[in-house]
Formats: sequence, structure tokens, C-alpha cells
Amino acid sequence: MARVNDNWWNRNKFNISGLVLLLSCYFFYQSLTPEFPDMWEAKQVGEFEISPMPYNLDPPYLHDGVYTKDFFLMFNKGQVKDIRQAYLNIGDEPLPLDELQAEGHGILHGSQHGQEVHAIAPKSFKPEHKLWLTIQSWKGDEFLTSWDLQDH
Amino acid sequence: MAKISNRLWFQLHGWMSLPIWVLFCAVCLTGTIAVVSHELTWLTNSAARADNPNNLPIKTMAEITAIVENTYPSAKVSTVMNYEPYLVNVAIFTDSDKPYALAYVNQYTGDIQQINQGVTFIGFMRTLHAWLLFPWKNNYSIGYYMVSAMAITMLGALITGLMVYKNFWRAFTQPKLRLNQGKKTALADLHRLAGVWSIWFILLMAVTGIWYLVQAILWHNDVEIDPHAPIVSDIPNVSIYGEVPQRPVSLADALHIANVKYPDFKSTYILPPEHYRDTYKLYGEGDFIFFDQYSYGVVVNPWNGEIMQVRDPNEMNILQTLSHIANPLHYGTIGGIWTKIIWFVFGVFLTGMSITGFLMWGNRTIQAVKKHKNDETSDNASSYTLNKQES
Repeated sequence: MARVNDNWWNRNKFNISGLVLLLSCYFFYQSLTPEFPDMWEAKQVGEFEISPMPYNLDPPYLHDGVYTKDFFLMFNKGQVKDIRQAYLNIGDEPLPLDELQAEGHGILHGSQHGQEVHAIAPKSFKPEHKLWLTIQSWKGDEFLTSWDLQDH
Repeated sequence: MAKISNRLWFQLHGWMSLPIWVLFCAVCLTGTIAVVSHELTWLTNSAARADNPNNLPIKTMAEITAIVENTYPSAKVSTVMNYEPYLVNVAIFTDSDKPYALAYVNQYTGDIQQINQGVTFIGFMRTLHAWLLFPWKNNYSIGYYMVSAMAITMLGALITGLMVYKNFWRAFTQPKLRLNQGKKTALADLHRLAGVWSIWFILLMAVTGIWYLVQAILWHNDVEIDPHAPIVSDIPNVSIYGEVPQRPVSLADALHIANVKYPDFKSTYILPPEHYRDTYKLYGEGDFIFFDQYSYGVVVNPWNGEIMQVRDPNEMNILQTLSHIANPLHYGTIGGIWTKIIWFVFGVFLTGMSITGFLMWGNRTIQAVKKHKNDETSDNASSYTLNKQES
């Protein structure tokens, strides 16, 4: 039988994987006390006042074949039910409504208490990129507003 | 081909298991508890029980949704789900003062028995077991990778273990459990006996685990297994008065459409529309024993009642089939409570094997250290005696 040295490493080397469970405890605590980035400033667009908030500060990821960045939108004024369709995209300019509604990516969904969206995004951000919100109401009005990425 | 010695098989068996034995033990233990998490919830939380003393007919998920939205007029139900006939339906909703809440609705009486804004025991056990509560980075979790990769070491430990214990079938015909011949013998017998009788279970866990690993890689690379529900292209046009149209097809209508399409359809997970181009997404179980409770699905257009997409075990490709049979096989839900009990018992065996395996290694190491120390002591004593004699 091979010679075994009676030292700390040899006594404990096979228990080290248990340390991963400490991370589980930490992640559980983290899930109970989630922290999100700050809400961005509210913008008035038509009858709506809206504040976006990214869920995290990570770069875009692939979702359903499209690079995506997840946002939460708080409607401080206006009724969500009055929106026929609304989309969020990130880039140099807003995507045309015809193009947005053809695929349905980046559409706002949720309830009056908060809308979520997988915003259409480029693979990586540039300072000149903006977050573009396009809204079409049931009256047929189209509203557009934006937030500068570099300010946030 | 060179023949591998028993000693090398034994070392390989140790290398497969020992370095991760604590984590593996935790995954086995949490999985074992997760198997019976529905039953433990029923036992420990009376508000989660769907008692039906007056033998009332079951309410549809459309009625459950209406009950919650009538009780909380500003609430919006986003999901209704049901795990077991003896557990309440759970309606997930948001309200002005509740960003995320679960209403436990008795599907027989219609009573809202609890509003839960925290973590459920079922959800906690499943997430602890499946990804060790590690966060999901959009479409992957390191914890999910770690847990599912253990299937490879589990399979390796099984194969190497059987190579070491060459006549393993004797554990079926002549089972030995010698508890009164010392700790070493008792541990070895327990480890071998549990291992051999659990071969089928270890294989099942390893194969389903490897599938979970493949699934994790597919998710990470944005490979679609079940296709996303389509979006409605034709919704009512705008009007100069801005009238908000009502969807002509209600949730109850959509459920009826699903039942016409699949007469055995029993809804277990439904998602009402979340915007005006969204659909009713209705998932449920049917008459396929090995498929999970989401293996049937009907996506209904709320504006005209058209079925826009279906999910049907008869039409699934290989990846879809694997994704819908993995959970029932992994968690033992295929035959209800009785298979869950069997899975629970073998889960205890597997958890115990990781402990007995480590204890066996510990015993051997302690013995080796003791022997080494004794050898050193006797060497020193001999040289001392020799020196004395020489002097």
C-alpha cells in the first residue's frame, strides 16, 4: 500500500467539494434579497410616463435566435390596456413598426403593475446606442421615445 | 488489449467518487427529498391541501383565474398550475402591492387558502437539487452544469464498482450484510449490497442526468427543443375612438378547444395572454404514462379560436421526447405515489452509498497511517536497541 502522509491536505482533500454548498447558501440569501440596477429616468410619451430598468448589467444574450437584453418597464402614468402593441430595441435608431410586428421580438408583455421585455439588441453595445421604445395605441397613435445608453 | 488490474479499477472507482463525495451526497439527498416534496408539502402545510369533503366537481383553471381576479380586482393572473390532485391549484399573479404572489386555490371548493409571496418548499427543493441554487445567467447556470455533469462520474463509479466487485450478481442470490463483524465489514457489505441492488436506479439517474447535461448545453447555445409559441399576426385594427377590443375567445373557451382537440387533456400549466398579440398557452397531461405533465399543449388564438400550435407526444422529435420523459423517470412520478416511494428508498440508498464509500476510504487511510506510524515506531525502537547493543 502506498505510503500516506498524515497531514491536513490528505485528511481533508475529499471534503473540499462541500465548500460549493456554502455558495448555495450565499445564492439562496441573494435570491431572497435581490438587487437590481437603478431605474432609469421616467419619460413622458403621449399619455404614458414610463421608467425602464435593466434586470442586470450583463451584455446581450441569444434568445430565440435574437440578441436580447431584458428590461422591466414601470408605467407611472397611462393604462397598459390602451396599448395595442409596444416594442423595445437597442441600436442607433428605432426599428420600424412594420419590421417589429412582423417577427414579434422585443414586444412588451406583462400587466399594469409592470411590463417585461426581451429588448432586441446588438451583440455588443456602443456609446452612441440608445434604448428605443415604440408604442402604438388603440387610437392608432404611434409614440417613440429613447434613453441614451451611455448615461446609464 | 492490456488487462486492467483490480487494483487500478479500485483506484478508478475512488477517483470517480471521492473528490466530489460531499457535493454528490448533497445532490442525492436533496433529490431524494425532492421526489417526495409534494407529499411533504401536503403533510406540513394544511393550506396546500385540496380537501374535498363534499365531493364537489373540480373547477377549471379558467374558474380558478376568475376567483383570484375577482377577489383581488387589480390583480393579473399570469400562470395557473397544478402538481397533484390532492394539492391546491397555484395561481401566480401580480397586484399593486404584490409584485409576485402565489394564490393557493382549492380546485374543488374555490377557496383561496393561502397567499404566498415567498419561496415554496417544492420550488426550493427542486432548485437546490437541480442547480444548487446557483443563479441562471440568462440561459445557463453553472450549478445546473455541475449537477448534471455528476451523471458522468456516477456512471463511471457504477462501471468501475462492478469491475471491482466482479461477482456482483451474488448480491442478488446470496445477499450478505454482516453487521457484527466490525465496522469495516459492515460498511463494505452495506456499500456493495446497496450498490448492486441499485444498479438499475444508478443507471437511470446517470442516463437522465446525462440528458440534463445535453439539455443544458442546448439551452446555453439557444437551441430550441420545444418551439416557442407563435405570435398572433392579425389583431383588431386601430379605431379613431381608441376602443379597446375584448378578446372574443375566453380562457374557458380555449380550454374547451383544447379538450375537443385532446379528449384526455388535463390542464396542468396555463398561461393567459400577456399582450394583445399573445395567445392562450395551455399545457397538460394525457394518457402517455412515461411523458411529463406538460407533454400535451394547445396554443389558442384569443381572437378567433384557431389552434396555432400543438404539443403532442405522437408528433415529438427525439429531443422533445427525451425532454418530456426525463423528469418522470428521474423523479419517479410515472406511477404516482408508489413509484415515488420506490425512488425515495433508492435515493436513500444512493445517498448512503456516498457516505459509506467515504467512510471505507477513511478507514483504509486511517489504517494505513496507523500502520505507517507503527512501522516508524518499531523501526526507531529497533535502531535504538541496535545502537544500545553496539555501544
